[in-house]
Amino acid sequence: MPDSDNDSGGPSNYAGGELSSPREQDRFLPIANVSRIMKKALPANAKISKDAKETVQECVSEFISFITGEASDKCQREKRKTINGDDLLWAMTTLGFEDYVDPLKHYLHKFREIEGERAAASTTGAGTSAASTTPPQQQHTANAAGGYAGYAAPGAGPGGMMMMMGQPMYGSPPPPPQQQQQQHHHMAMGGRGGFGHHPGGGGGGSSSSSGHGRQNRGA
Amino acid sequence: MEPSSQPQPVMGVATGGSQAYPPPAAAYPPQAMVPGAPAVVPPGSQPSAPFPTNPAQLSAQHQLVYQQAQQFHQQLQQQQQQQLREFWANQMEEIEQTTDFKNHSLPLARIKKIMKADEDVRMISAEAPVVFAKACEVFILELTLRSWMHTEENKRRTLQKNDIAAAITRTDIYDFLVDIVPRDEMKEEGLGLPRVGLPPNVGGAADTYPYYYVPAQQGPGSGMMYGGQQGHPVTYVWQQPQEQQEEAPEEQHSLPESS
Repeated sequence: MPDSDNDSGGPSNYAGGELSSPREQDRFLPIANVSRIMKKALPANAKISKDAKETVQECVSEFISFITGEASDKCQREKRKTINGDDLLWAMTTLGFEDYVDPLKHYLHKFREIEGERAAASTTGAGTSAASTTPPQQQHTANAAGGYAGYAAPGAGPGGMMMMMGQPMYGSPPPPPQQQQQQHHHMAMGGRGGFGHHPGGGGGGSSSSSGHGRQNRGA
Repeated sequence: MEPSSQPQPVMGVATGGSQAYPPPAAAYPPQAMVPGAPAVVPPGSQPSAPFPTNPAQLSAQHQLVYQQAQQFHQQLQQQQQQQLREFWANQMEEIEQTTDFKNHSLPLARIKKIMKADEDVRMISAEAPVVFAKACEVFILELTLRSWMHTEENKRRTLQKNDIAAAITRTDIYDFLVDIVPRDEMKEEGLGLPRVGLPPNVGGAADTYPYYYVPAQQGPGSGMMYGGQQGHPVTYVWQQPQEQQEEAPEEQHSLPESS
């Protein structure tokens, strides 16, 4: 895939003057992109302080490393070398981000459809096409397994698998939102490894203010 | 005339003073008692009236304030949950309308570099950064929305770092971020940590990280300065390290003087 996103790196580098060091800059996403996304979640008259933007920058990098680490462990257990989209979705489910998985499944499905069309449409570079066709097949198989494991509800399972069969997205009605799975929440705590956080009340969908649980950080 | 007019006042005065006429004195005491009885009743009723009223009023007022606070808290929670539901509905709708996968809101090359920072990561498929680009966008939106809730609770219009810290504290799925905010605060206050890299996600390394982090909390200045900042939940979070600092000297054993 051509790295056309490098163009966005330039102005972002200029915007983030404090992160002038190339090595330092590579650890975070561009602050301009992060700031633009943050503003979409806020009212028009809201302001964002500089340290808040930088904090979210670090939180996003931590989020990527957190999910990637869990997905990488899964690939090693299964003796696979390549991390694919389904591994990331599985890791998110394991680490408590169930709400993210359903929207991202739709997103990944549409991306694969477009990528499939692009691969079929391109006639030049037969080698590239051959190289790109094999991974999608493997991904499709893993996708089916991941999709089945992802849906704990019996009703949502067939729906998800049906979508994986390649049926048109627009024809089928949107599936209902997934219910909160407390077991996955506990698994998320286990996935942390060294940190012994107390599982507080409330799932990912709701915001609960249980400050006492936060104090037990294994200090 | 004089005897007829004088006898009445004279008899009254004489009765009170000389007590020479017992029968008239016996007749007058009841008259004297009558004014005394009503005089005693008002003081008796006055103190009893306000006592039962004040506690009742205080109790009623206290209960009313408590109920109002409870209703406000419930309404606030319902509003916030409604905002989150709308947020997820918007995300689903936005994803279904996505047709262009070339222009991502976040650079894929940078995402790949962050993923590669983990030495255990070998190969990454082309779709992985694409999934992360969308996942990170949703993550930023949700974190910002939850942080803004704290900003509104404090009647401010500028999103600050302590708002993000509050959102991280309140949300369970953000537990993996608890180490980021305090480290930033200490960094700002001049307590530089020798290790600037991201905390490793490997289980073995994660076990050693908390031990390394403990000495950093021993700085009394950082705790006090941080406590002074706005945001009550943040102050509450930082009170824990201060307590630990107080406990540390107690555990230390003073060496006995050897003669």
